[in-house]
Amino acid sequence: MITGARQGKPFALHRLLAAAMARDLGTFVIPGPDIARAHGLDIEAAGLHRVTSPRHASVLLVIGTVPPALCEAAAVIYAQMVRPRAIIALGTDELSPLPAADVMANLSQQALIKGVRELRSAFAEGAFYPEVSDFDAPVLQVRIEYTCPMHPEIVRDEPGSCPKCGMNLVLREAQAKAGHLHTDHQEMGANMDMETASTHAHGSHHSIDHGALVEYTCPMHPEVVQDEPGSCPKCGMDLVPRDAPPESSHEHHQMTHDEPVEYTCPMHPEVVQDEPGSCPKCGMDLVPRDALAESSHEHHHMTHDEPVESCPMHPEVVQDEPGSCPKCGMNLEPRETQNKQSHKHSGMDHNGMDSDMDHSSMDHGDMAFMSMIDVTKDLPRSGDGLPMEWIEAPFGPFFPGLPSGLLLTLTLDGDTVAGSNARSLIENRELLQSSSMDTGSFVEQLTSFDPLAPVTYRYLACRVLENIAGMDVSANTAYARIGALERERIASHLGWLALFAQQTGFDWLMRRTASLQLKFQHADLEQIVALKPAILTLTKRLQRTPLLKSRMAGVGLLATDATLRGPVARATGIGDDARSADKVCTTLGFKTVSRKTGDALARLHVRLDEIIHSLALIEAAGAIELPVPAIIGEISGTGEAVVETPRGVARLRLTLEMGKVTTAQLDTPSTHHLALINPLIEQQELGDALLAVSSLDLSPWEVRQ
Amino acid sequence: MTTVLLLLLLAVGAYLVAVLEDWTVSGRFRLTAPVLAGIALLGRESIVPRKPDRIFFEVAPFLLLISAILAAAVVPLTPDLIITDMATGALFINAALVYVLVALLMAGWGPDGAYAMIGGWRFLGQLIAYAMLIVMPITAVVMRAESLLTTQVVVSQAGVWNIIYQPLGFILFFIAAMALAFLPPFDLTTSKGELAGGVEAEYAGVRLAVFRLGRLALIITLAAATVIFYLGGWQGPLLPPWAWSTIKILAVTTIMLLAGRYMPRIREADLLAWCWMLGIPLALLNILLVGVLVLVFP
Repeated sequence: MITGARQGKPFALHRLLAAAMARDLGTFVIPGPDIARAHGLDIEAAGLHRVTSPRHASVLLVIGTVPPALCEAAAVIYAQMVRPRAIIALGTDELSPLPAADVMANLSQQALIKGVRELRSAFAEGAFYPEVSDFDAPVLQVRIEYTCPMHPEIVRDEPGSCPKCGMNLVLREAQAKAGHLHTDHQEMGANMDMETASTHAHGSHHSIDHGALVEYTCPMHPEVVQDEPGSCPKCGMDLVPRDAPPESSHEHHQMTHDEPVEYTCPMHPEVVQDEPGSCPKCGMDLVPRDALAESSHEHHHMTHDEPVESCPMHPEVVQDEPGSCPKCGMNLEPRETQNKQSHKHSGMDHNGMDSDMDHSSMDHGDMAFMSMIDVTKDLPRSGDGLPMEWIEAPFGPFFPGLPSGLLLTLTLDGDTVAGSNARSLIENRELLQSSSMDTGSFVEQLTSFDPLAPVTYRYLACRVLENIAGMDVSANTAYARIGALERERIASHLGWLALFAQQTGFDWLMRRTASLQLKFQHADLEQIVALKPAILTLTKRLQRTPLLKSRMAGVGLLATDATLRGPVARATGIGDDARSADKVCTTLGFKTVSRKTGDALARLHVRLDEIIHSLALIEAAGAIELPVPAIIGEISGTGEAVVETPRGVARLRLTLEMGKVTTAQLDTPSTHHLALINPLIEQQELGDALLAVSSLDLSPWEVRQ
Repeated sequence: MTTVLLLLLLAVGAYLVAVLEDWTVSGRFRLTAPVLAGIALLGRESIVPRKPDRIFFEVAPFLLLISAILAAAVVPLTPDLIITDMATGALFINAALVYVLVALLMAGWGPDGAYAMIGGWRFLGQLIAYAMLIVMPITAVVMRAESLLTTQVVVSQAGVWNIIYQPLGFILFFIAAMALAFLPPFDLTTSKGELAGGVEAEYAGVRLAVFRLGRLALIITLAAATVIFYLGGWQGPLLPPWAWSTIKILAVTTIMLLAGRYMPRIREADLLAWCWMLGIPLALLNILLVGVLVLVFP
């Protein structure tokens, strides 16, 4: 029997079904296919086929030691898989909170193939079992609680009515483990539920009742803000908690007549007067507008004095004067500039939350009737001006088109990104296992620090130690090490291409680059020379690929910026490359590769050019040798070194005391690039946003905050 | 009797599409793989998400399948082998396939999950892009046949196939047909890398099997429609009519399945822009050219 067997007696029919299922094992890979390839595994060749939705998977393949945060997220994935389901773990037995693996094997292709064979027979025999037990884990627990739609501070364990307003309390779910978190996703599909639950587990969700960040405001008078609960000095209503900072507080304020009221035309916002009447332009009745609210928090409703002109089809085209769009030739139309800023204030963080997924939306409080204009006027608008429902959707940490371990939470307005939050679930892993670590194990520790660039980090650690000891390696060794670094760069860029191809559905490229990456990883000099024609064919073919240019050009546009590193920087025209300062590299003929446009296409071209250039460097180096830590004795001192990783410059600073590493500081490119994501994808269509993120080639493993 | 035979043939066709698709993806020609995959799906749980729109969720896969079967009803494989030779056949194909949109929107909305919902929305945008490019080339085809009978459309190509007579129309129809079948590079609605499966993501077990069967039937129906509109249907030398139909349909299917593997997915905005700003003027030009040709060579 397998742990995730489906309930059923072993009838003949069930045996037949089980036999078929054993031959068709849809596999969900943890942490992801990028890590599988980094470990030299070819999942398809082992007879498993990879699927992208947990619902379609019958096997969870866990590769290597998985950090605890990812294990929790994997438990959520496992819970979403339908029965019968099984787990196969390679090179690890630490799976908690996942159940124990059905098949365990070493981390190698042969072991995987053998493991799959075992799994097939386990599946054929034990896919159905008369008694099965539920899988449960703390991360999956939800608690039902009841709350008042108007007074979110009222939370009860049982149904009833609100002591403040008498309304019936409504049901919502909260995560048991995290305690009193605001979780209003009960309307989502189970897949979403679970993924959201995992998001909540890591506390990334803005909750309206987060302790430290909360301030209190009056539902009717948004200008009243104070740090503690109480009642409003103007109307006496109870204050409700909301998120700080104040600019994220686009409450849906309502008309109140205690304040000075202005009247404006729904169609001609430039018409504003102090008393009711009709619009001099179109004759419509003027509607009241809250003047005070207007001034106190940038009411984003068509009131800007200086309209800017923008193309209705291309919101990115903006100019001060009328004219036609350079992209499509349409006449530009006026639009107000504040639109842009107003998107940050997602309605989702606020009380409207529970309506965001149940399509009833527009929960503006106690209004009896509102016209459509009134209803939508306070909703934040996207660049296309269409008010749509906003949903918050997690992409990651095992999303097929993104690096595994990256959790991208997108607030989507239709399919446009209105806001985002990107973080690595595996950031800030300890560099030192103890307060003082011997140099040999430190080098090993850094080798396994980032599975996507083990050789590079190993080289970095060795270099720092040699710098501190004042040692130098022979020219031949130095060349051979460059050979190893460049080989890893080629493999890493090929891995990026495979991820990019997976995301954009470019199936041929995905298979081609994935197989090339596996071949390059441990290739010797001769094999690399033999693989060169394949690489050249690949680059030529990409130049002729239809749709590629239009897919990537202009997407993820980045301006020259000091925080950019590596290929991302070089795609904007910066000639920044640590190798140009390295004498060994320059002797081998290193030249910086760069492009100017700074978009995803330029990053693709930089990486392709670098692959070819790295091939030349390896040939010039004439050898490949992994860095070996020098024996430096019991010395003390401080030193640092830099290395150009496949993703950009990394810098390591170490302090040694009596030959032991006591402090280590590491600065990595992905740390800086992670912070680029939010501005980069705001107001982008979902596909463009995901492409922009993947084009940065982040490694969540190396993120340090 | 014909109906039963043709439904059986449709099932065989869907099976062959599955074999071909497996071949284009894995590079191996395995006749048993689709059978195993199908049986495996039947053996797995088919769970319903927790807060579904139950009716939409349950109906969508069947609606997709039914829509494809309805369209297949007016496709002739030989002069006599057709379920119903409707007087409005050429238009009926289009009418029946409109329900593909409805099915996908329902499949997107039903499970109440973000990926599926966005997938559904995306297909709505896709419909706006391809819809005119299905109808307008068909218009030019029936202009030449001077009949909406699909058998008559085939007969009208006795001299010159429409792919030669109106190549522009063929290109537009072929692209639109691929977009309608949400095949790569138009798989915006079920994209794996962007939406983890999109509208398919929440379906499992039997329901997923029906959904996939519907998709396969849709592909084979559209390939068959392409054959009768542009490739002379059952006509050809030496071989019997049914053999020509089979060869042509499978060839078109193979090209449809292969094309998307060698390019990235199209951007949604580009699809809309190109279809409207380039595709529709070209389709109008095609109608004009065919009109002139029909007048000059009656």
